[in-house]
Amino acid sequence: MNEKERLSRAMHGESVDRPPCICPGGMMNMITTELMDTAHVVWPEAHLDAQKMANLTIANYENGCFENVGVPFCMTVEAEAMGAQVTMGTKIFEPHVTDYAVDSITEWRKITPIDLTRGRAKIVLEAIQILKERNLDVPIVGNITGPVSTASSVMDPVVFYKGLRKNRTEAHAYMQFVADAIIKYARAQIEAGADVIALSDPSGTGEILGPKLFEEYAVKYINRILDSLQKEKMGTIVHICGQMKNVYTQAEQLHSDVLSFDSCVPMKEAKKNLKHHTLMGNVSTWALEFGTPDKVFSLTDKCRRDGSAIISPACGLGTKSPLANIQAIKRGILEGQEAVS
Amino acid sequence: MTASKEELLAKLSECVVEMEDEEVPEVAAEYIEAGYPAFDGIMDGLVDGMNKASELYDEEEYFVTDVLLCSDAMYAGLDVLRPHLPEEAANAKKPAVVIGVVEGDTHDIGKNLVKIMLETAGFEAYDLGRDVPLDAFVDKAVEVDAKIVCMSTLMTTTMDGMATVINKLKERGIRDKVKVMVGGSPISQKYADDIGADRYSVNAVEAVRVAKELVGIA
Repeated sequence: MNEKERLSRAMHGESVDRPPCICPGGMMNMITTELMDTAHVVWPEAHLDAQKMANLTIANYENGCFENVGVPFCMTVEAEAMGAQVTMGTKIFEPHVTDYAVDSITEWRKITPIDLTRGRAKIVLEAIQILKERNLDVPIVGNITGPVSTASSVMDPVVFYKGLRKNRTEAHAYMQFVADAIIKYARAQIEAGADVIALSDPSGTGEILGPKLFEEYAVKYINRILDSLQKEKMGTIVHICGQMKNVYTQAEQLHSDVLSFDSCVPMKEAKKNLKHHTLMGNVSTWALEFGTPDKVFSLTDKCRRDGSAIISPACGLGTKSPLANIQAIKRGILEGQEAVS
Repeated sequence: MTASKEELLAKLSECVVEMEDEEVPEVAAEYIEAGYPAFDGIMDGLVDGMNKASELYDEEEYFVTDVLLCSDAMYAGLDVLRPHLPEEAANAKKPAVVIGVVEGDTHDIGKNLVKIMLETAGFEAYDLGRDVPLDAFVDKAVEVDAKIVCMSTLMTTTMDGMATVINKLKERGIRDKVKVMVGGSPISQKYADDIGADRYSVNAVEAVRVAKELVGIA
């Protein structure tokens, strides 16, 4: 069973020899400074060069971290393409939005539609093509930023969140516009060679929106995106940040194959509440950055025993996480108690 | 017939809880025209409503989006009532808090909530925004004679910045004069202790309790 087959089977609830060990990329960052030094490819250059981007994600796999490759390494590509100002950050800090394209939800018609033939969207698609040409055993993950997070990166999140309640008609029209852009980009990722699409929507959480708006905006437009992708793909992952206890019922309606959570969500509790999805997660990124390999090893084993079918970090990795800690995840899968029994 | 003071106070409070930012200025104007004191209108009307909204948030009946809209209603009411405050109340010195999200991080929703709730509780909040250069915390604290420096981050990568700010406060010789509060999902009381911060708070409601304790206005 190679890594692609293993992930494909695990995503669809079929039997596997052991859970896959993945980290999608995008918001779920897999890159660390130690890896950059090992690969001789550094941020921020790697955000702007398809070959470097591809080489850096391959280095993660070649150094025994995760059994996948995935691009990009941030969640600003879509927002930048729609006119937000973005800094590429540093070797340590990820790219982030510094200024918005519009001031209010009613101005959404002024936003530039996404253009895949230029800028970083083009670079990401080229990186996926390069990865595809390498004909790797590991799956290629194309990462997209969720609709709520993208929408609240193109304008001030506070203005946006208020608009969701005060101006529903325009808010829905804007969300549809954003979803259409993401669909276009994600479909192009699959066309370029992505096996899996992973969507992270950290600004569209149950904690921020509450159950009602979470369903009305996050679930609705995430599903629109997922439903609009080509059928010919390995599968889809949705990562949701923060506590889930108020929104399990709503999350259950998401059309992804896999759901992934933060480490504040106990895997056992998630398992009890979510019956229709394969669950992925959720090794603490705190432990991965500040803990020891032994601690990571035992957390990994616990995730697996508690019902995680795909082992992954619970959030994006801190860039200063030691490689030895990251490598301990896979060791935990291969040599942990669960593996022995 | 003029509505009684109590009726109008209850209405002001309700407008805030119900996020009626368009209705609240009318009620506030009616309250002032009836000759009732602006100070009570703020404290027993608008702030009372915002406190109720905070309680609902604490009980997970309200969520972040709700609190943001409640605060809009509160601020809309404040715009009407504040000009009618007697001079001494308007100029009364409130304890200053410098607040921001540390450099490298742009997650500011939690910080915004804390700021709103601190202002409701009678603090003067100086909001530096997000992705704030570390020196700016120290410079602003000196400039406004801050009682508290309040920092947040949602990322482990940027946490170290909080420790750096504390060291910079020491270098400037003002660490003894300000209290330092930290928060954000990767932060804990242990981390606060490790870096020498005064207090950690788990959420925005708790942050207000902690801030009041720190400056002795509990």
